[in-house]
Amino acid sequence: MIELTRREVLKGMAGLGAAGALPHILSGSAQAQTTKKRELVVAQGGDISKFDPHFSTSSNDIRVSFNIFDNLTSRHPNGKLYPGLATEWKLEGQTTYRFKLRPGVKWHNGDPFTSADAKFSIERTYDAAAKTMVATALSTIDRIEAPDPLTLVIHTKKPDPLLPARLAFYGGQVVPKKYLEAVGNDAFNAKPVGTGPVRFVSWVKDDKLVLEANPAYWGGKIDADRVVVRSIPEAAPRIAALLKGEVDVITQLPPDHGERVAGNSATKVQGALYAGLYVLAVNSKRPPLDNPLVKQALSLAIDRDAIVKELWRGRGIVPSGPIAKGDNHFDPSLPPLAYNPTEARERLKKAGYKNEEVFIETTVAYVSNDKTMAEAIVAMWRDAGINAKVEVIEYSVRAQKNREKSFKGMFWSDPTSTLGDPDGMMWRLLGPGGPQDYWRQPRFDELGNAARFSVDEKFRGGAYREMTKIFLENFPWIPVIQPYEDYGVQKYVEWTPNPNQQFEIRRFNFKFHRA
Amino acid sequence: MRGFLPFLGHRLFRALIALWLVSTVVFVVMRLSGDPVPLLLPPDAPHSEILRVRAELGLDRPLPTQYGVFLGNVARGDFGRSIHFREPAFRVVLGYLPATFELGLTAFGLAVVIAVPIGLLSAMRRNSFLDHASMGLALVGQSAPTFFLGILFILLLSLKAGLFPTSGRGDWTHLVLPALTLGAFSMASIARLTRSAILEVLRADYIRTARAKGLSELLVVAKHTLKNAAIPIVTITGLQFGTLLGGAVVTETVFSWPGIGRLAIQSIYNRDYPVVQCTVFLSAAMFVVINFLVDVSYGLLDPRIRSH
Amino acid sequence: MGSSIPVFAPTDARPLPAVSARSFARGRRAAWLALAGMVFVVLLGVVAVAAPALAPYDPVRQSLRTRLAAPALTGPDGQGHLLGTDHLGRDVLSRLIYGSRVSLVVGFAAVVMGGLVGGTLGLLAGFRGGWVDNVIMTIADAQLAFPFILLAIGIIAVLGPSFPTLIVVVGLSGWVAYARVLRSQVLVLRSREFVDAIRGLGGSAGRILLRHVVPNVMSSFVVIATLELARAIVLEATLSFLGLGIQPPTPSWGGMIHEGREYLDTAWWISTTPGIILMVTSFVVSRTGDWLRDILDPTLRGE
Repeated sequence: MIELTRREVLKGMAGLGAAGALPHILSGSAQAQTTKKRELVVAQGGDISKFDPHFSTSSNDIRVSFNIFDNLTSRHPNGKLYPGLATEWKLEGQTTYRFKLRPGVKWHNGDPFTSADAKFSIERTYDAAAKTMVATALSTIDRIEAPDPLTLVIHTKKPDPLLPARLAFYGGQVVPKKYLEAVGNDAFNAKPVGTGPVRFVSWVKDDKLVLEANPAYWGGKIDADRVVVRSIPEAAPRIAALLKGEVDVITQLPPDHGERVAGNSATKVQGALYAGLYVLAVNSKRPPLDNPLVKQALSLAIDRDAIVKELWRGRGIVPSGPIAKGDNHFDPSLPPLAYNPTEARERLKKAGYKNEEVFIETTVAYVSNDKTMAEAIVAMWRDAGINAKVEVIEYSVRAQKNREKSFKGMFWSDPTSTLGDPDGMMWRLLGPGGPQDYWRQPRFDELGNAARFSVDEKFRGGAYREMTKIFLENFPWIPVIQPYEDYGVQKYVEWTPNPNQQFEIRRFNFKFHRA
Repeated sequence: MRGFLPFLGHRLFRALIALWLVSTVVFVVMRLSGDPVPLLLPPDAPHSEILRVRAELGLDRPLPTQYGVFLGNVARGDFGRSIHFREPAFRVVLGYLPATFELGLTAFGLAVVIAVPIGLLSAMRRNSFLDHASMGLALVGQSAPTFFLGILFILLLSLKAGLFPTSGRGDWTHLVLPALTLGAFSMASIARLTRSAILEVLRADYIRTARAKGLSELLVVAKHTLKNAAIPIVTITGLQFGTLLGGAVVTETVFSWPGIGRLAIQSIYNRDYPVVQCTVFLSAAMFVVINFLVDVSYGLLDPRIRSH
Repeated sequence: MGSSIPVFAPTDARPLPAVSARSFARGRRAAWLALAGMVFVVLLGVVAVAAPALAPYDPVRQSLRTRLAAPALTGPDGQGHLLGTDHLGRDVLSRLIYGSRVSLVVGFAAVVMGGLVGGTLGLLAGFRGGWVDNVIMTIADAQLAFPFILLAIGIIAVLGPSFPTLIVVVGLSGWVAYARVLRSQVLVLRSREFVDAIRGLGGSAGRILLRHVVPNVMSSFVVIATLELARAIVLEATLSFLGLGIQPPTPSWGGMIHEGREYLDTAWWISTTPGIILMVTSFVVSRTGDWLRDILDPTLRGE
């Protein structure tokens, strides 16, 4: 949390998210440039595919849907939960949440927002007939009542300490009941109506999406009249567009280009420490990866400092375990994962490793630097006497292998801490039946389950400490880096990004410096 | 006209069979390439979810059944719904078509506007410096890999000289580099072809007569040569236009141009079967139609072909 | 339009042009040039074979601390990288030298494969005629109508990127050129009297094919194969550039261009040096094909 407080303090200074890693930005831009612009142009690495927020969880889509729509709760750049369409909420007993909704909110088409919309919207996510793609996001909910237009009562199946956090992430975007039922799914997807700070104007696929500011936004009209979202898949042209002033903000700024953006007189790097980790997830069922000693050796043979310093130009930190820095129950006393090739060789000997092949199946640009890191790590492993190989697979193959759990060895994963808590990260992915369920240990499972359904944070803290210890002996993931999510931004734009891939433009985190 | 109609009929029949073959191959290759459903769902979706979505998309039915449905629908002009965009595939492709046409026509226009005069001048000033330089350049243009040419243009004309934007679609400046890249090969071919076609004509007797009559060089060339050289030039340019998509795939990828070539690649990666099927079918149909028209015009222009 | 992967598809055989003094002189010049072109290919082959001796460094050896180093005789670490290092600190020159192996192996293997498939089908179509001819030529039409790069991406998606897949894909892309040309040549030969005469004397079809037709079409075959080699090398590089080439860390020119794209503005040497080599190779090989055509087979001259 130190990081976050510091960021708050630094707020207003250019290059604040860089948190000292790029010192010359701080000195070079004492006074920020100004602009007369009324239009914010954002370039991201891929285009959106659809607007209906319940039909996509891809990061390109949710960057847009979190701005057209609102959630009941809202996670701000400081990582904390704030009121959204709900102004307050409280837990009654173990399984009942009562939400008070914001009065006077209007949909983009003028209809009033009520509890009927919220109830419809949440139920729609897991309604079998609605066939959404977020059916499991809110499945801890048993039933919902809307006793009056501004009250929503949610009953969960079991105690769920993280329900308000769940409602802030995907699946939680609230859609309009009346409009959606009147026009149907297709028309809604083609012309979405939300309550968010921007409303839909037009979209030419793979070209540009035009949004305009919602003047009646409950959080205040944003400091722009229009927001244009462009898709520029290649990093080099995306950066060139920023440097030439064609766009105001670019997402996914590769670390190798941070210095150029920071060194340019008109632009700066804006980063947030990623709320999550980049890990090599391990198929621990495949020999020799079923042997914890081998996995310990693999972890010990990775020179993470070199990866952070050289491949990421310092834009990241070495993880200490499975919990991301900034999350609930992160233990600051744990040392960063060690690099010790001699010890790695020892453990391999002890494991009886017989030069079996070990694979990293890497994607290209699924996560930033994935292929480059895979090649670097494989070279480090080979130096430590491990017969390691890289195989490049395309993203859809990865998705399929993920589903079939048929990876040959290790693969990149960027577990996002969707809830700011290990439950929404480690346990969501590594738990029994989870997408990365390749390894089971009774005590680990017992603790993970108990922590999920407990509203006692002290107990949960103890459970996650013990789970971390078990994790570090078994390495179901080999954590590699907790990077910064960097954005390139014009100096006349003041904007604070979220630490997860949620991209939000609100009055509280965005403004133009005007002359 | 003896034999011409049967000849056309035969060509048409073969063209239809070829289209059917193309669609079948795309169908089979796409189904074998993998499942689109895991891409649609969050990574922690349970197996039951996957099965549900597969059923909803009709992907749980046996392949022959899916194939039958596919053929039936295509015959009615229905390419199904895009899995990625959740709207009719045909509408998705139509949305991308203007960008490709804009790029293709500009590339084509540039190629013709630049290449024909160059070919003409080279032929008239045979063995001059201009001739050697432009034909040398044309040879390079013919063998330069499209993607590398695009990269060179971006590096030199966009990043270094700052003359044009690096990518994307917008005003005319966005068009220049991708159009030059896409048009380079055609430009080179057309320039070389124009030069040799005109040289051929210049050697012909009637030109000598015209010259002997004291007509100015330019007038001779303008009046007689171009007209006679036009047929082969038009033919090859027509054929070149037919392979538009092949070149557009690479050019649009290099320049992030929002056309159907890039759509096709993205859709393969997204396993968006209906969109891939629709793009490939349309481009193959375009190719077939253009070829057919070339055949017809050949037949009309040059009766000897018919008996062949 | 645009495709730098020319579909070499001459329509039909043309009558022989009258031999003039000029074309004879041109033939002599072409012979020298063709020879020079072939010497280039042989040299490239030597580079590929002798790569371990020629390359200054191990092409897969990384050095993260000296990554993205500019071309220099002596670098910051005291080691010279004539063409600089890439994003993992590997020596670009060494990778360029080793990369010729992929280009040549895929190129030649694809040419052999395309030649075998296309040659056989073309001879078959021309010799048998009738429905066999129709079927083969319809498949050829279908393939030409198909934006091949998409088919290649699809096939690689099914089979996964590997050396054999690349060879099959690149090889299959080229069969039509052989088939069309050989078919039309066989048609011309078939109409000549000597084939009929042999047949009249009771010669079998296979015998006629082997003894008389194959030698007659050999020169066209060589010309097409050369042009196809250039095309195959470019196609392999294009696929690698699209991220569909052979697996890392094996270097290939297209793959290097692909990896260097992000650094075009900051480390131009990663992409441009393999690009220039690729362009020169493609130029020389395809010109060699043109020159060979001028010498061996004037009937094929496309212009």
